[in-house]
Order: sequence, then structure tokens, then C-alpha cells
Amino acid sequence: MRTLVFIPAWNEQDSVAAVIADVRECLPEADLLVIDDGSSDATGERARAAGALVASLPFNQGLGAALQTGYLHALREGYEACAHLDADGQHPPREVARLLEEIYGDRADLVIGSRYRDPGKAESDDYKPTLSRRIGTGVFRFFLTLATRQRFTDTTSGMRAANRRVMALFSEHYSPDFAEIESLQLAVREGLRVEELPVRMLERAGGSSFLTPLRSAFFIFKGMIVLLVGQFRPRHAEASER
Amino acid sequence: MNALLLAVSESPKVHLTSQTRIIAAVLALAFMALVLELIRRDRLQERFSVVWFVAGLGMLVGAAFPGLLTLVADAMGVRDTNVALFSIVLLFLLGLALNFSVTMSRQAAQITRLAQERALEKANSQARSGENGSKAKSQSLES
Repeated sequence: MRTLVFIPAWNEQDSVAAVIADVRECLPEADLLVIDDGSSDATGERARAAGALVASLPFNQGLGAALQTGYLHALREGYEACAHLDADGQHPPREVARLLEEIYGDRADLVIGSRYRDPGKAESDDYKPTLSRRIGTGVFRFFLTLATRQRFTDTTSGMRAANRRVMALFSEHYSPDFAEIESLQLAVREGLRVEELPVRMLERAGGSSFLTPLRSAFFIFKGMIVLLVGQFRPRHAEASER
Repeated sequence: MNALLLAVSESPKVHLTSQTRIIAAVLALAFMALVLELIRRDRLQERFSVVWFVAGLGMLVGAAFPGLLTLVADAMGVRDTNVALFSIVLLFLLGLALNFSVTMSRQAAQITRLAQERALEKANSQARSGENGSKAKSQSLES
């Protein structure tokens, strides 16, 4: 199956080349696209030097916009499956290959890599989140499970694999900033099969997290409003009939 | 502490009848519903909705506990709670309007740059296929 692996990257010059090399090694069949989200450092140049195809957004547009660029490219170029992972080295490509297996086997439309091996626990052996992140994770997990009536553990995971149905949906509907929870809610509402797969994640290799406590609070509040609204959104299938 | 209590009891009470409070609460709820409806119709991006939603919540809280307004007015050293209310709202809107102007300016600059990049890209691709293009043109002129 023709597969696209894309990597949204914003100011990740220290790790992007290593991630590209890793993906090449573990997923030699897949095409690779790096979406440089208006980085102010050398992310784009280093990705190009590492031999990857790079789409550079002229300004920082937000993670959601970068991801949507990848889904759009995958859809337009006729890829049958796609996957994305973070550029900071937290996501081992070997695990991405496992997510893709689920898509190849048509067992799901969208597969999320969850860093929580034990669904009940807030942390795992090799992952110790900060307090603000843990609160955010808990809130999102609770409300998303409430909204979708499906159990999710890692609601903000940036490691996912998808088929063409998801590409078609996300390339049209994806909020430009942090929008993982909304996108999961949307996919479930559209009747797509969304699945979580426990994966092993690593510490970030370089750069720092974009999330300060204040930003976390903003995104948690925004996430709650969005989930509330999302429950009353017209479904895409109906909307397209208008 | 005593002085504060004294000040609260001395300052003029907010003259909000239960009727005006109900009207204010209904308006606040309607405002929040409008914000949600705008998001639902994709007319308002979620990140811009947060500040309006918080404003709606503030209105609701103000309607539910008018005593809070008196406390705020005292903290500001304003006798008339109405004046306090109006200045807070005015300052809030002023800050928001300035913030939007800043955002608009940035976006205007970004749109300009996008248009420039697109134009240059087209010029580049024209230059790359330049030889073929000019040959084809001259041929068509000859014939």
C-alpha cells in the first residue's frame, strides 16, 4: 500500500534529522514529508539536508494546520495510508509501523498510539508527565470519553495512522491549533473506527515543550468549549448533502 | 478588616432588583449560546471564542452575585458601583479592540507575504520553463 509518513516540525532543528533517519530505516517503503511549520531555526534546512521532502509553511500556523497540510498532501497524492509522528524524537518509528499494520489490515480507520500501557494509570514506567500536563490529560480523558462514549487514554497523542476516509475528513475539518481531542470526537461522530494502541514512547531528544501552565489552562478551557459544541455539530455526511 | 466591612456597609448598595438580575442572567446565557452557535457553524474559530465565553461567564456571575460588584468598586476606591462596572467593561473592550488590531496587522502582513511568495514562485516556474515557452511562442507566431 502506498504510504505517506509525515512529520510536523516547529523549531526542532536538534532532533529532526535523526527522526528522519529513523523513519527511513524502520519504514523504508513509505514516502516521507516534513511539514516545517514556520520554524525560526534551521529545522527546514536540516530536514532538506537529511533528504526529506519538506513543505515549509511561511508562518507558524499551529500544529493542527501543519497536520492538516500532511493529510491534504496524502489525500491529493492518492496515498492509501498515512501516519504522522512528532519531530522531537519521542515517537519511535518502529511503533508507527505497528499502527500502520492496523490500517493495512483494515481493522480501524484511525489508530492512535497511546503512551499508557495500563489504561488506568496516569503514568507509565518510562513516562513521567508534569503536573499541569497530568491535569490536562485527566480532564481531556474524562470529557472525551463522556462525549464519545468510547474509552481513550492518550487523548493528545501526536502519533497516529489513518486511511483515506480519515484523510478526507481531516483535510476539510481540522482546527489550526492543538486539536487532537476535537479531531477524535469528530472522527467518532462521523462513524469512523478509532482505535488506541499502546506504544512505547521516549523522552524528547531536543527542544522544549510548547505548553506552559497558562497555555495548558487556556487549551483545557478551549477543549471543553469545543467538546461541548462538537456534540451539537451537524454530521459531515449530512452537511455535504446541503 | 473592620474598616473594609464598614466601607462595604457604608457604600451605596447596588440597586439591582431581582427582575434586572434575571434579565442580565438571561442576556448572559443568550450571549454564550450565540458564541457556541457561531463556533458550531464554523463562523468563529475556537481559540477566539474563549475570551468571549469568559466574558459571558463574568456577566452571569455578576448577575448572580451583585455583591461582588460592590466589593470590586470598593477595591477600586469608586463610590458609585455603576461607574466601576462601566470602567471595567470599557477597559476590557478597549484592550480587546487593541488586541484585535494587532492581530489584524500581523495577518495583513502575512497575507502580503503569501501573495509575494506565490507571485515569485510563478515567476520562477515561468523562468524554468522559459526556453520551451518562448520557442513555442515564436513558432506559433511564424505559422
